[in-house]
Amino acid sequence: MTAAARLYPRRRARNVVWTVLAYAATALGLTMLAIILGTLLWNGVGGLSLDVFTKNTAPPGVVGGLLNSIVGSIIMTAIGLAIGAPLGILAGTYLAEYGAHSRLATVVRFINDILLSAPSIIVGLFIYQLLVVTVGHFSALAGGVALAVLGAPIMVRTTEDMLNLVPNSLREAASALGMPRSLVIRNVAYRAVASGIITGILLAIARMTGETAPLIFTALGNSLFAVDPRGPMSALPLIIYEFARSPYAEQQRLAWTGALILTFAVLGLSILARVLSASIKQK
Amino acid sequence: MVDQHTVRAYDKDLDLLERRIAEMGGIAEKMVIDAMDALAGADAALAHQVVSTDPRLDMLQREVEEQAILTIARRQPVAIDLREIIGAIRVASDLERVGDLAKNIAKRSLKIGVESRVPRAIVGIKHMNDFALELMKDVLDAYAQRDVERALDVWERDADLDALEDSVFRDLLTHMMEDPRNITFCAHLLFCSKNIERIGDHATNIAETVFYLVTGSNLPTERPRARQESDAEADAGGES
Amino acid sequence: MRMSNDVSAQAPVKPAVATKEKVVMRNLNFYYGKTHALKSVDLSLYEGQVTAFIGPSGCGKSTLLRVLNRMYDLYPGQRAEGEVMLDGENILSPNLDLNLLRSRVGMVFQKPTPFPMTIYENIAFGVRLYERLPRTELDGRVESALRRAALWNEVKDKLNASGLSLSGGQQQRLCIARTVAISPEVILFDEPASALDPISTAKIEELIDELSGDYTIAIVTHNMQQAARVSTYTAFMYLGEMVEFAETNAVFTAPRDKRTQDYVTGRFG
Repeated sequence: MTAAARLYPRRRARNVVWTVLAYAATALGLTMLAIILGTLLWNGVGGLSLDVFTKNTAPPGVVGGLLNSIVGSIIMTAIGLAIGAPLGILAGTYLAEYGAHSRLATVVRFINDILLSAPSIIVGLFIYQLLVVTVGHFSALAGGVALAVLGAPIMVRTTEDMLNLVPNSLREAASALGMPRSLVIRNVAYRAVASGIITGILLAIARMTGETAPLIFTALGNSLFAVDPRGPMSALPLIIYEFARSPYAEQQRLAWTGALILTFAVLGLSILARVLSASIKQK
Repeated sequence: MVDQHTVRAYDKDLDLLERRIAEMGGIAEKMVIDAMDALAGADAALAHQVVSTDPRLDMLQREVEEQAILTIARRQPVAIDLREIIGAIRVASDLERVGDLAKNIAKRSLKIGVESRVPRAIVGIKHMNDFALELMKDVLDAYAQRDVERALDVWERDADLDALEDSVFRDLLTHMMEDPRNITFCAHLLFCSKNIERIGDHATNIAETVFYLVTGSNLPTERPRARQESDAEADAGGES
Repeated sequence: MRMSNDVSAQAPVKPAVATKEKVVMRNLNFYYGKTHALKSVDLSLYEGQVTAFIGPSGCGKSTLLRVLNRMYDLYPGQRAEGEVMLDGENILSPNLDLNLLRSRVGMVFQKPTPFPMTIYENIAFGVRLYERLPRTELDGRVESALRRAALWNEVKDKLNASGLSLSGGQQQRLCIARTVAISPEVILFDEPASALDPISTAKIEELIDELSGDYTIAIVTHNMQQAARVSTYTAFMYLGEMVEFAETNAVFTAPRDKRTQDYVTGRFG
């Protein structure tokens, strides 16, 4: 019998063991996901009604909804995106296109990696000192800025990684036509990785909508309907935090519903992202 | 740089050509010697042997051509390799013709009856044949060694062979004029001397091939020739 | 044996017919950081002719090509010294408008690199960099570029398909069409067919044949038979040096330098 034939049974056994372990781990992960989604659905679906989307949060005893929190989340995420996305994408572009060898780029990259996993409450405190204490009151704007600080590093990372995937041969081909650098980046590199950059943005949105701690110190929350960013504003994570601790059953139910809405909104966004990027690829 | 091809089989292909040519050269030389011996010694058996050797030479020439064509198709030769292969084709063709010429001499010797022989007339021809044989030996050596100097030397010495042919021609004419019974024999010898002079021309061709093979350029078309019979007569006519 | 390694084999050859020198390189040296990649190269590209560059890996032929359109400028640490004259103007001078240079000296790369756009856009894009044309004229330019690249018949019904949907050979011809659309004077080909199958390769070679005459062409190839087929002049490079530059016919029947001969006959150790 050849050496390979002798080893075969043992190798096959090992292969089976590892395959089973891999499948088991996957099953475990999927089960966790299923449990979370299931629990959310179980507890939150009951509270879903038109009121949730049309009425503001109300004190116990009064029929209320989550309108101001939903709107607040949307507004603050939008502010965070408006500030963080250009920052993140352009910084990522700098790191990938211009910063291959520079000292500054290495430093920026290092700091960005730290920020990626910075405790969000620290960020909240920092913005509190910067934009709340100085101004004298809480504001959604401060909240938006805190979210931007948390979301930008994701976009920096994704943009840089995506742009690094663009083969140099493509850039050279564009340069060989006489295209100036900025056009090469805008028209060729960006277009080549558009779906990747969009994914980065969506990941950032997912993070931003879910942050609670920084908003505690910046936006504070608001029981009334508010759209002015200069003042305090409610947000879904904040209201979930508040209502989950409440002794009142209807508020707890609303907390579950809020969690459900939040989760499925982010899920929906992710799916939308996939569909979008697939259709971009088609073209 | 090494002198062998990275693909060793290529070298084998070229070696095969080389060996075939060497074999052809050996056979052709022997045929030239034996044909003259048969003629001088009226040796019919030897003459038959020469005639029967010719098919082998023809076959070798065809083999060389085939091998050359295959090598061209498979190896896409360039530069020196290409010149080698073209050279091999040309030399094989020349050697095959030399064999034919020797065979013709042998066949002619069979036609000559014993009674009409004039031994004195043979001397000149034999001398010519030896000279031509020298040319062949030297040029084949030059080919084997890729020696341009030697090839050029052969190329120039052919002029001497032409001069020899002129003198043999005059000799034979004299013999024929002396005694009409000599005419048959000497007429045969005239043809043989032409054949031998042609052998010298083929040696020249091989020399030109060696030059091309080594240098990549061609010799001038006209080589230095000995003064012609006609030139001498013209001079004589002009003087008187 | 008239083989020699002496300097005379390196002297540039003057063509039999007087042809204008389009690009003249004098004492060109190139460095990747500290590595001396090109050593005192002297060479001319003649107008309307195809010059092939051959040599073993790492001999510097691609490096030399990339000097001609200053592609190395994209990377810090790479520098060129000496003179490279395009129509008498030194393109190595630091004040040179690189984009203008690259509109005169186009390049086709080894790996086909269509832009992530439609076939039409791939070509229109380059044209729009330099000219504002009405739609009909632009259409005409795109068509003529695709015709020149022998691609028009295959794509005329799907100009809005993505450039990436074409086969490898078609993609490469698209890149060639893109390059000729902006009417350069010199076209550089860096191993244009090495990633393609034999039929596509033959089409590219035919294309180069047709383009020569109107454009000055330099082609780097590791396929010697291809160099023999398409070029009028051949330059053999080894270890950063220009070993021999002569008419292709001479290089492949009777090269002057032994190193050239060893390389073209496959005797390189």
